Amino acid sequence: MSALLQVSGLNKHFGGLHAVKNVAFALQPGSITGVLGPNGAGKTTMFNLLTGFIPADSGTVLFDGRSLVGLAPHQIVNCGLARTFQLARPFAGMSAVENVEVACLAPRVRHAGKPRERAHALLGHVGLGDKAELDADVLPYGDLRRLEIARALATNPKLLLLDEPFAGLGASEIGPLAELIRSLHRSEGLTILIIEHKLREFMQLVHDVIAMDFGEVVAVGTPAEIVRHPRVIEAYLGTTPIDLALERDHAGLA
Amino acid sequence: MTIPSIDWLGALLALALLAAIPLVFGSTYTIGVLTVALCYGIWAASWDFMSGLTGRENFGHSLFIGAGAYTAGFLNVNFGASPWWSLVAAPLVAVLFSVIIGFPTLRLRGPYFALAMLSGSAVMLNLTIIFSVYTGGQDGLNGLFPILDSVLAYYYLTLAFLAASVVLLRLLANSSWGVILRAIRGDEATCQAAGINVTFYKIASLMISAAIAGLGGALYAHYQLQVGPDLFAVILSINIIIMVYVGGMGSIYGPVGGAILLNALTESLRGLSEYRLWVYTLVLMIILFFLPQGLIAPLWRRVRSALS
Repeated sequence: MSALLQVSGLNKHFGGLHAVKNVAFALQPGSITGVLGPNGAGKTTMFNLLTGFIPADSGTVLFDGRSLVGLAPHQIVNCGLARTFQLARPFAGMSAVENVEVACLAPRVRHAGKPRERAHALLGHVGLGDKAELDADVLPYGDLRRLEIARALATNPKLLLLDEPFAGLGASEIGPLAELIRSLHRSEGLTILIIEHKLREFMQLVHDVIAMDFGEVVAVGTPAEIVRHPRVIEAYLGTTPIDLALERDHAGLA
Repeated sequence: MTIPSIDWLGALLALALLAAIPLVFGSTYTIGVLTVALCYGIWAASWDFMSGLTGRENFGHSLFIGAGAYTAGFLNVNFGASPWWSLVAAPLVAVLFSVIIGFPTLRLRGPYFALAMLSGSAVMLNLTIIFSVYTGGQDGLNGLFPILDSVLAYYYLTLAFLAASVVLLRLLANSSWGVILRAIRGDEATCQAAGINVTFYKIASLMISAAIAGLGGALYAHYQLQVGPDLFAVILSINIIIMVYVGGMGSIYGPVGGAILLNALTESLRGLSEYRLWVYTLVLMIILFFLPQGLIAPLWRRVRSALS
């Protein structure tokens, strides 16, 4: 099976900081892959490079057989690669359904159905059906995350990039959101790349993990392999007590 | 009644009122004041379409007004063209200016667009002085031909253009185009992540805004039968922004109301001579302090929700 996304030799410098260093990986269609790494490892920068929000210094990104290098963010979305932001940024002063409607107006999906009707359907799909007419800026954090996902889904992506979808959520909100992401993958065959810190849910959700540190990919493997990988333990998990905590965490889900 | 039908009804009533006023107060002076107020209405509505909806403030709307007015002046005075041609050429020249300013600056975030508009209008004002051989300098261009001979008929022509502009801009603002412009106001990055070509929509909106402002400039020029450097002045741009705020930003019709209201206020304070500016400023401060959302648009929304 040929890869949906093929990244190689991706580099980005910010002044003297080598934020993303020779990153290379491939995503198979229909997979859920996690990106793991401590703060400052270059995960979000890598997302920004893939989605065109920041231009890469060098490297190739092949998506669905097409090079994304040099394309503007909106062009990349219209190729079928959508993202959510770490900090949900809804359109203030617009209702939830209007927020999603904007993405239904993207050229890729403009004629996929009546934008307003599609937006309502998508809100129902992510569990916000009864909040469609509320102002987006009054929605609680967990709902904003769902709104972000609905907006991304509106563009009919083949690959969905989720930047820390669980950050700032309470324990009671994380489970249902993880279930939503899982159901999107199951029912639509969506390929998903996800950055996360919340280890338990994260490791349950993903098939493969790309571990990053100091801008580099230090390990690739299944969750079980990654948590035992010496480079990951050294870079991300650090000292013994946390190491043990993760072992315990992992044992709990195995 | 549904909200759109109430809106149409309100628009028809406002139009009928504006059409009836000169029949009641028929002095040439009153009609003249009203014609100028309608020109301000066109300018305020066109400012609101781009800047009110996208939130990208334009501090030099007079650039488009002056460009339209001087186009009318050049064609009419220097080339002897029929004044009707002004109404075709003025919007085109204004659009040209909007592309020159908008294309390089609207792709950037930050204050570049606002500053470029401000300096663009200031540069044009100075150019009218520097090239006074062609522009008449401080005196401007005089002796434009009237489009229509009767002052009253010209008032109705201006009113027709105002009504057409407001209807066009409102239809656009209520369409998916308007949804996108309001989303740009909310967050440009999220808008890009939604697959929207933000730069295209900003530049295209500015072009529409400029075309209508330029048309208003030509209508104004053929009322005054004179164009001068004041039409590029920053104070004109600022006055338009104040009218938009008083009317209610982002509503298109509110700024028209704001323009008519403030023009009427200026006229009614004429008796106060040197205290006029004091009172005018005081009234403005009171309105903006107590009604930060403006006066006209919030008022209409109340009426509308009471009726629906």
